[in-house]
Amino acid sequence: MERSSLNEVEVALQPLVERLGFQEEFRLDAYLSADRLLEAVQLLMKMGWMHLSAITGLDMPSPGPAAAGAPATETPLSLQDQPEAGSQDAAEGRIELLYQFCEGKENITLRTSLPYSNPLAPSVCGLIPYATLYERELIEMFGVILEGTPETARFVLPDDWPVGVYPLRKEFKG
Amino acid sequence: MENTPHQEKFIVPIGPQHPALKEPGHFEFTVDGEVVTAATVRLGYVHRGIEKGAEARNWTQNLYLVERVCGICSHIHATALALGAEKLANITVPPRGQAIRTLVCELERVHSHLLWLGVAAHEGGFDTLFMYSWRDRETIMDLLEEVTGNRVNYSVNQIGGVKIDITQAQLDAIRRGVDFLEERTHHYLKVVTTDEVFLARTRNVGTMTMQQAIEFGAVGPTARASGLDMDIRVDAPYASYPDFKVNKVTATRGDLEARFVVRINELFETYRLIREMIEKMPTGELMAKAPRRIPAGETISRVEAPRGELFYFIKSNGSEKPERLKIRTPSICNWASVMQLAVGHRLADMPMMLVGIDPCFSCSDRLITIKGRTGNNQTWTWEDLRRYGIEYYR
Repeated sequence: MERSSLNEVEVALQPLVERLGFQEEFRLDAYLSADRLLEAVQLLMKMGWMHLSAITGLDMPSPGPAAAGAPATETPLSLQDQPEAGSQDAAEGRIELLYQFCEGKENITLRTSLPYSNPLAPSVCGLIPYATLYERELIEMFGVILEGTPETARFVLPDDWPVGVYPLRKEFKG
Repeated sequence: MENTPHQEKFIVPIGPQHPALKEPGHFEFTVDGEVVTAATVRLGYVHRGIEKGAEARNWTQNLYLVERVCGICSHIHATALALGAEKLANITVPPRGQAIRTLVCELERVHSHLLWLGVAAHEGGFDTLFMYSWRDRETIMDLLEEVTGNRVNYSVNQIGGVKIDITQAQLDAIRRGVDFLEERTHHYLKVVTTDEVFLARTRNVGTMTMQQAIEFGAVGPTARASGLDMDIRVDAPYASYPDFKVNKVTATRGDLEARFVVRINELFETYRLIREMIEKMPTGELMAKAPRRIPAGETISRVEAPRGELFYFIKSNGSEKPERLKIRTPSICNWASVMQLAVGHRLADMPMMLVGIDPCFSCSDRLITIKGRTGNNQTWTWEDLRRYGIEYYR
């Protein structure tokens, strides 16, 4: 299948995303809210970007100044944020999900940031069935909720691992 | 099993442990009689928390840590990390350092493919081929030991280059070893493409079309056997591959035989590449000076491991330790593909199909419990299943 260039994708993604840009050569980062994720994935696939190399999770316990220099904006989510009793909403931690599509030299990353209190994103397995292993890992390691993911059985953690303990969150010290 | 009423659904769990193979894995195959109707995988029995551990170690320590992700393709992991860190720190590795790094990558590929050939032959019941290929593999193991000092976990990489130099005598020894292996590999190619008994286990078994390979997310030789020509060494050349060009090796049939043929033909291409590197080994420095702290930033480092695309996402916060190290090994992609592909195939073909992707294999020994609702439990070991697979084709 013919594959669109990074610049073509950049233009096509524009209406779906909050911001996008190149952090390094051949790597396009697109920041979007979780409710636009499926649309964006669908668009990439339609443009010939079929290979989802990985879904990376990043834990950011306190928002802090964003590395790229842009102000850390609250991502609008479709669902109401409901902070748990006692949680400090101002300094709420976030989980960022990076959907990394790689073709040849070029990489496109769809990035969506979820608050601890409502770490909810749609599953991409409906579009990319093999993402199920990535998603199972992500759910266990970061405690995100991926709506519609086909399987949530334990994938890498032991059967007797305590519920609610997510090893790749920074607060987990072993 | 023959007492089973028709509608009954059997789940055949395989795994998790095998004392001889590297990683344990657990599979559940839902079968309707002889045919697999669903398959799922559960890993993690040797989950060591390497991604988490990396956040607590400095960049140099992490080179040692990631080499231990895999005992077969350890060097490629350290290479992926070193290349990523070098990109972030804007370090140019001297050509000789880069070439030695790449040479070890290719030697490692030879050892990995020969190891796989033996394991795959063994699972199919062809233990003579297994013994011969592993005997020949010792040639490359000795060479790796001679060059790096270690049979596994070569510990060659350093951020900024390599730690070891290579002498002319060593290069000559590698050339002699490769000459011997090439001759042997011709023999193996002949065996796997002409031996009728062997072909009965591989031809038209586990066929994956190119479209399926794309949809299932297959990578590496597994994808290339289906005609999907992805090879990071060619598509996005790293290390010394811009200077030493690789020819992609593909096949079109997409069955198990094609996966054998692709890997064996890839051996020939690797021998050619190794000779070219010996011929044109650059002179000069081995490494550039690297800072203790890697500048803040993010990068993606992708390399072609023996099993396919190895993906590293590296985020540095400017300190001595990485903020996040994400590793996606090629076997994860190929697991996903074989789990989808298994549906519709016979249970007896499962050992060969699993091994056909060259899973950082892992798996799949010890116990198979066949549970019927009627309560006629039966326990099989992997050995039993293997034998069952062999007997089935007698």
